[in-house]
Amino acid sequence: MSTSFKGVQWAIGGKHENRRDTEGSAKVIVLKYTNQETSVTIGESVRDEDVFIIQSGCGEINDNLMELLIMINACKTASARRITAVIPCFPYARQDKKDKSRAPITAKLVANMLIVAGANHVITVDLHASQIQGFFNVPVDNLYCEPSMLKYIRTKIPNWTNAIIVSPDAGGAKRATSIADRLNLDFALIHKERKRANEVSRMVLVGDVRGKVAIVVDDMADTCGTLSMAAKTLKENGATKVYAIVAHGILSGKAIDVINNSVLEKLVVTNTIPHEDKKAICKKIDTIDISPTLAEAIRRTHNGESVSFLFSHAPE
Amino acid sequence: MRNIIIFGGSSHPKLAEQIAGRLGVSLGRVELSKFSNKETNVEIRESVREKDVYIVQSGCGHVNDNFMELLIMISACKIASAAKVTAVIPCFPYARQPDAPYKRNGEPLSRIPRDKFLGYTFDTPPNLSTATTPMDEGKDPFNATSSKIGEENSTCSDADSINELRHYNSTMMSSSSSSGKSGAYRHWVARSGTLIANLLTCAGADHIMTMDLHDPQFQGYFDVPVDNLYGLPLMIKYIRENIPSWESAVIVSPDAGGAKRATAIADKLRVEFALIHKERRLQHKPHKADMMLVGQVRDKVCIMIDDIADTSITITRAAKVLVENGAKKVYAIITHAIMSGDAIKRIQQSAIDQVIVSDSIPQDEHLVQCSKIKVFEIAPIFAEAIRRVHNGESVSALFNDRTMLLV
Repeated sequence: MSTSFKGVQWAIGGKHENRRDTEGSAKVIVLKYTNQETSVTIGESVRDEDVFIIQSGCGEINDNLMELLIMINACKTASARRITAVIPCFPYARQDKKDKSRAPITAKLVANMLIVAGANHVITVDLHASQIQGFFNVPVDNLYCEPSMLKYIRTKIPNWTNAIIVSPDAGGAKRATSIADRLNLDFALIHKERKRANEVSRMVLVGDVRGKVAIVVDDMADTCGTLSMAAKTLKENGATKVYAIVAHGILSGKAIDVINNSVLEKLVVTNTIPHEDKKAICKKIDTIDISPTLAEAIRRTHNGESVSFLFSHAPE
Repeated sequence: MRNIIIFGGSSHPKLAEQIAGRLGVSLGRVELSKFSNKETNVEIRESVREKDVYIVQSGCGHVNDNFMELLIMISACKIASAAKVTAVIPCFPYARQPDAPYKRNGEPLSRIPRDKFLGYTFDTPPNLSTATTPMDEGKDPFNATSSKIGEENSTCSDADSINELRHYNSTMMSSSSSSGKSGAYRHWVARSGTLIANLLTCAGADHIMTMDLHDPQFQGYFDVPVDNLYGLPLMIKYIRENIPSWESAVIVSPDAGGAKRATAIADKLRVEFALIHKERRLQHKPHKADMMLVGQVRDKVCIMIDDIADTSITITRAAKVLVENGAKKVYAIITHAIMSGDAIKRIQQSAIDQVIVSDSIPQDEHLVQCSKIKVFEIAPIFAEAIRRVHNGESVSALFNDRTMLLV
């Protein structure tokens, strides 16, 4: 019984992943026909194998999602024993509730689609809302970046013992306090006062950051408008330096310009989403490698061992 | 009409407007856009509670984006308490395995040499399907370097037509391969038909309406009702009204697979029939295939019938064969004119006199680029089908060509 790994569009993580696994990545060719339909060819037999398909919800999301679904379905019809979809950044995770009339809960739709395609197991990293696990009827392993983030703070941020953890909005308070408790540091929160929808008029800081290094913690950095305004507010209130640590660095649109022009010292993202090209034009970006965590999770899932270890330890 | 809402997706807004206009209702207000990280955003601007919703979206353009948009719209309407959601998909996506040139050993081609284009010869051998080609020993495309793969292809015209293909190769990541298994394993391309059907059902569609499915058996992939409307009555109407001396024309099927479709039209019009067999294998050259005309076309007007024209390689090659065999004029009637890549240029330079297509796929750009294209509208058929379905009447009349003369 061996494991086959199918890695597609995993430019950064895949290389690291193979370093610690016994089998290499299996071969699959994904093409697009002239009429824009996706075509998948599986390069080796998967009959009765434990298949892991790694695809992140980034870049051309709809294309990548269809690719993932077609690959899962192809493996299912090829008699794979178990198919696990490893989706570091879950697509459409932010559309997870009906917050206004007729809003679609696309995260639920994506969950249904994965099941219908034939996934038996899903592994993901830092879901936007951990309740999304409830959208599935199959086991979902929601791994945490927190141990890796803690390790980064302890090793790479100078003077971290005099730091303060800040959450850039009220929704992320729970995430930030958890990190603050583990590091035994103080905590602050930034509250967005909205006069009009989609326009943040004022940011109010709750807590004292005077003379400290501020570490802003969030799960996603998309357009980075929030992060840059938060950094400005923190500096105005006396923080010496501002770091930002984010699980998923989507960095779309003008995000790089915003980061470069902001007062952030560094933006630290994990490699759930490949960002080599963005690092080249923005010197403030640093990477936390999450592939050891994912590789360890895959190994333990395959061998039937407990994954709980990963919720509090970051493997080397 | 009461309790009905029609939404148009972003693939073909004009068709949705035409259908709504024919039915005398105004199009439902929906805002479709993309977030900055390219996720699709759907906002439905009017109430759909307890209404019959019809979502018009064709599987064309950026297929995956439009398909996700359709699924999200269906899901949004379902959870907003719509009574019934029908997906109207004139051109069904992933309905067939498209024309990707394969190498001699049956592998899909992955890289094309760009510097070899010398002009369209319309002589290219047809695609050899994986089912009939034995795999060459020792040739493993997953390990071959990309530059060598291009040379396997026979001529350049085929290669040029798939310039849009992107190739993701994961072999860069691993050196340890399963070479021990490659001798016994034959590579195969996944067929996504059932998956697409299941995705539509799981999003919440209660009813599907489409036209001229490539595989009529596709209806069996669904558990919900599927109305596969025919373009045939509209084609017959066009032929009778617009093609001079159609009574002495010959209906030609450009490949053996479409023979049934073409004979149906030939019988209704009571004209003769011919066929082009494009995969004739010769004994001494098993890997090269030849084009063979079955039937008489000398001094006749030829009308080619096909359901899909994607790269237009099939119809342009067939036209050449017809002209070589003495055809006076060549028409082509196609239901779904995808026209991807350089298909339009091919048609412009080919021996076809006129290409008549339906507007299941937006044709405005193609009309500008090519003078040979004429369009017949399908909005009347769909509007009538929607009206009958909504009122609970029989749709059978739409399959009868006599009724279509009234539309």
